[in-house]
Amino acid sequence: MLTLAEEIAFILLVVVLGGLTAVGFRGIATLVRSGRAAPPREDVPRRLMSALIDVGLQRPIFKARPVLSTFHAFIFFGFSFYFLVNVADLFEGFIPGFALAYGAGGAAGPFLGGVANLFNLVADILSVLTLVGMIAFLVRRFGMKDKRLSFNDGVLLHPGVQAGGVRRDSAIVGTFIMLHVGSRFLGQTLRLAETGKADPFMPFASLTSLAFGGLSASALSLGIHVTWWTAIGLIVCFLPYFVFSKHIHLMVAPLNLGLIKPGPRGLLDPAVPKGAPDDMAPGAAQLQDLGWPRLLDAYACIMCNRCQEVCPAHGSGRPLSPAALEVNKRYLFNHHFTSLAKGEQADIPLLAMAISPEAVWSCTTCYACVRVCPVGNEPMADIVDIRRRMIYDTAEIDSGIQGALEGIGKNGNWFGKVARTRARWAKDAGVPIKDATKEPVEYLWFVGDTASFDQRVVPLTQKVARVLSHAGVDFGILNNEERNAGNDVRRVGEEGLFEMLVEQNMKAFGKAQFKQIITTDPHSLNTLRNEYPQFGAEYPVHHYTAVLLELLEAGKLQVTEKLGRYLATYHDPCYLGRYNQGYEPPRRLLELAGMRFAEMPRNRENSYCCGAGGGQIWLGSAPAGERPAESRIREALETLSPITGDAEQLLFVVSCPKDVVMYTDAVKTSGNEGKIVVRDIIEVLEEALGLTEPAGLPDTAQVPV
Amino acid sequence: MKIVVAIKQVPSLADEVELNAEGTNLDFDAVDFVLNEWDEQAIEQAVLVKEAGSGAVTVIGVDATGELDGVLHTALAKGADAVAKVAGEFEPGLTSHAQARLLSSAIIDMAPDLVLTGVQAPDDLDGQLGPMLAALMDLPYVGVVNSVQVSGRTATVHKEYAGGLMAEFSVQLPAVIGIQAASQPPRYAPVSKVRQLAKTATIEEIETAEDELESGLSVRSMTRPVSVGHADMIAGDAKAVAGRIIAILNERGLI
Ligand code: SF4
Ligand code: SF4
Repeated sequence: MLTLAEEIAFILLVVVLGGLTAVGFRGIATLVRSGRAAPPREDVPRRLMSALIDVGLQRPIFKARPVLSTFHAFIFFGFSFYFLVNVADLFEGFIPGFALAYGAGGAAGPFLGGVANLFNLVADILSVLTLVGMIAFLVRRFGMKDKRLSFNDGVLLHPGVQAGGVRRDSAIVGTFIMLHVGSRFLGQTLRLAETGKADPFMPFASLTSLAFGGLSASALSLGIHVTWWTAIGLIVCFLPYFVFSKHIHLMVAPLNLGLIKPGPRGLLDPAVPKGAPDDMAPGAAQLQDLGWPRLLDAYACIMCNRCQEVCPAHGSGRPLSPAALEVNKRYLFNHHFTSLAKGEQADIPLLAMAISPEAVWSCTTCYACVRVCPVGNEPMADIVDIRRRMIYDTAEIDSGIQGALEGIGKNGNWFGKVARTRARWAKDAGVPIKDATKEPVEYLWFVGDTASFDQRVVPLTQKVARVLSHAGVDFGILNNEERNAGNDVRRVGEEGLFEMLVEQNMKAFGKAQFKQIITTDPHSLNTLRNEYPQFGAEYPVHHYTAVLLELLEAGKLQVTEKLGRYLATYHDPCYLGRYNQGYEPPRRLLELAGMRFAEMPRNRENSYCCGAGGGQIWLGSAPAGERPAESRIREALETLSPITGDAEQLLFVVSCPKDVVMYTDAVKTSGNEGKIVVRDIIEVLEEALGLTEPAGLPDTAQVPV
Repeated sequence: MKIVVAIKQVPSLADEVELNAEGTNLDFDAVDFVLNEWDEQAIEQAVLVKEAGSGAVTVIGVDATGELDGVLHTALAKGADAVAKVAGEFEPGLTSHAQARLLSSAIIDMAPDLVLTGVQAPDDLDGQLGPMLAALMDLPYVGVVNSVQVSGRTATVHKEYAGGLMAEFSVQLPAVIGIQAASQPPRYAPVSKVRQLAKTATIEEIETAEDELESGLSVRSMTRPVSVGHADMIAGDAKAVAGRIIAILNERGLI
């Protein structure tokens, strides 16, 4: 179909622009490899395969925003199929007489005809769907001004982003897709118009061809040539732009998903790569101090802001946006591309250019951003690495965090209490509690700081002891030998202190005899279960909700009173839920307790952080704005109030010592006292089991004098 | 500017201290050792002086516990430039006289411009170490200082007096200064850095010719104060406390 001149022009274009693009891609590979080493990726071919399948089914993107995701799926399927379409169009351009229009009736001949018909049908439908999807995206970004695409005040943004770079990129990519797909569709339309016949396998193009019936043969032929160029020639022209555009996500996202971190969610990468020289500073100050997967993240990012939407720091108005972090990284790469592509180290200080210190200290390490990201990015991992270096350089450490770390270093807890008072709660628990370092037990109860020291939580800790003891569970504690498990210490960036705590706790484990670990604290659970094994401490670790459920199901505990008078909702703690998939036992327990129950909109994987994690609870200053825990109480009331019915009391049930503290506070500060009550699951259960102590003065014989 | 900080470890008072069998000293096997908190202030002040001008900070101590290295690594993590220890077979519980002799003979060879040390310690409440160091090195001494500024060959220091009074001194360098508090709270020593330094840093070991470690005094007996009467603390929530008070009043026939 093409003239000789056109053919030569096309080949030249491919050689020049294709070559340029190849150089660009090689530059990206060099750049990504200039990051620090990361734990080796396991099973890459299989993971890549399953990533491709996932992407093929559009699974990662449907984790959130179902409507937009549907439009994305239109574009995705259209674009994927267009690989074939483009090849066919190339043949059509270069092989005289090759044409797929009319399938069996056309130049393809009867042999290829059946295949061609099917091909045409799919191409015709997908072309239209792609255009529909793309129009929806453009309307949403440019027509509706979707607020989710803007950032909080104070979020550090690269000048290129501030100048509207993301919008411009979106506009260019959108125009490209519209032109490319639109031209191809128009070309087919004109072909049908040329013969004046409709093709039943190209219903849409047949329909539009009616509009062009009146054109002269030469006009139609010219149109066919022009649309070939605006469809196929355009791709070639667009190729070099890929290197700098977010549209590259269509290649990097599947790769990123295939190269995703092995191991559990709750296991952080080490602060310095394994085998690094002893004097290497941990974490990241410069962009290229980040591990290579973090650099690849920036190329996979499609700048959709989904991660920001679920971020509790963003939700409470703080200047943190995980999306902005990824976007900034990408803009910095683009800006320094020439030197980075040569493998040079560029001076790109993260805290000045990618994310502000205040934003770094706003992260609760709730994992929501990582969970929701459709392309497998881990903005949280960057933040932890940046904290690691800040701590190492003692730069801008919040006084509250410093105090907590010093206390933990000195006494093993952040309550400012000397280590030998750790097990004081056990003295007036009402039941004898074994010392696991003195006698063998089945379960070692790792109590944790909050449950040991916070006077609001200690009574709950004691209730757990009584219920376990009532069920005949053989358990003991490490007494004053237990230290903070280090989960949040590690997430604040104090890797050295974390390692020290692991060593201290492992030493205490070594003195004790036990088979399994139980804890009420999801934070301790996470690090004990997912991180301690790396140091050699491998034990089954259970949350108390799982153990209690087992006891009920085995008949060792019996519900004696159904609590139908309560209407409850349940908050999934990040470190039990999202990190460790402990979704069902707490819900089953509430069900067995016979209460009426309703889920909040944000539950399980989508649970919203209480705002305490990752060291936030230690911060010296409470930031302004609606705190995450207050937003959560509001959500609970919005869920429960309309369906209260004859419930005597609304309950906000939690299963984490920090949550007890956070939400009890939040009910007060949000002015909702009297409307809803925060209850630990153990209180609910104790009531249902009929184990609640009779009201009145407690037995004073147990009160130490 | 060469700044030397003389430090020592003392028994941790967070735990109950035990007496030895003879009742003449603490049972050093049963205590944890920590850096003297006033020395911690001295290190901070030294690093602040260095940061305000120029120079290098060397932290030095006598290793009487076998655990001094950790403290020295911590000092490096906080910004000291070099660390040294007086090596030898020492027992915990060295007297201030011995400390002063061992330290001064090592410090004198360093030709320091400024020597800082904690003004006191739990086992040196009368603050002897600083003055003795100064005397042995023939340098001037000012103690109970809570801020040090150096310009040229003079240090301007603030010394605390009773009654909330404060005096400003100009001290000709070199001099020894006993620090009560640094002008800022001590900074955080990242354990990450301490642990890394434990692998990479070198601690200079200084041999000593000093063999006179006696102070001329000996302890005949060390005892706990005998308590005369004591208060009962009633713990628990309001209900528990009320219950207990009622019980006590009942016991004594008061109600
Ligand atoms: S981990 Fe949570 S708080 Fe931190 S950036 Fe991600 S969503 Fe925000
Ligand atoms: S990191 Fe992921 S979720 Fe966040 S903007 Fe980029 S692609 Fe979207």
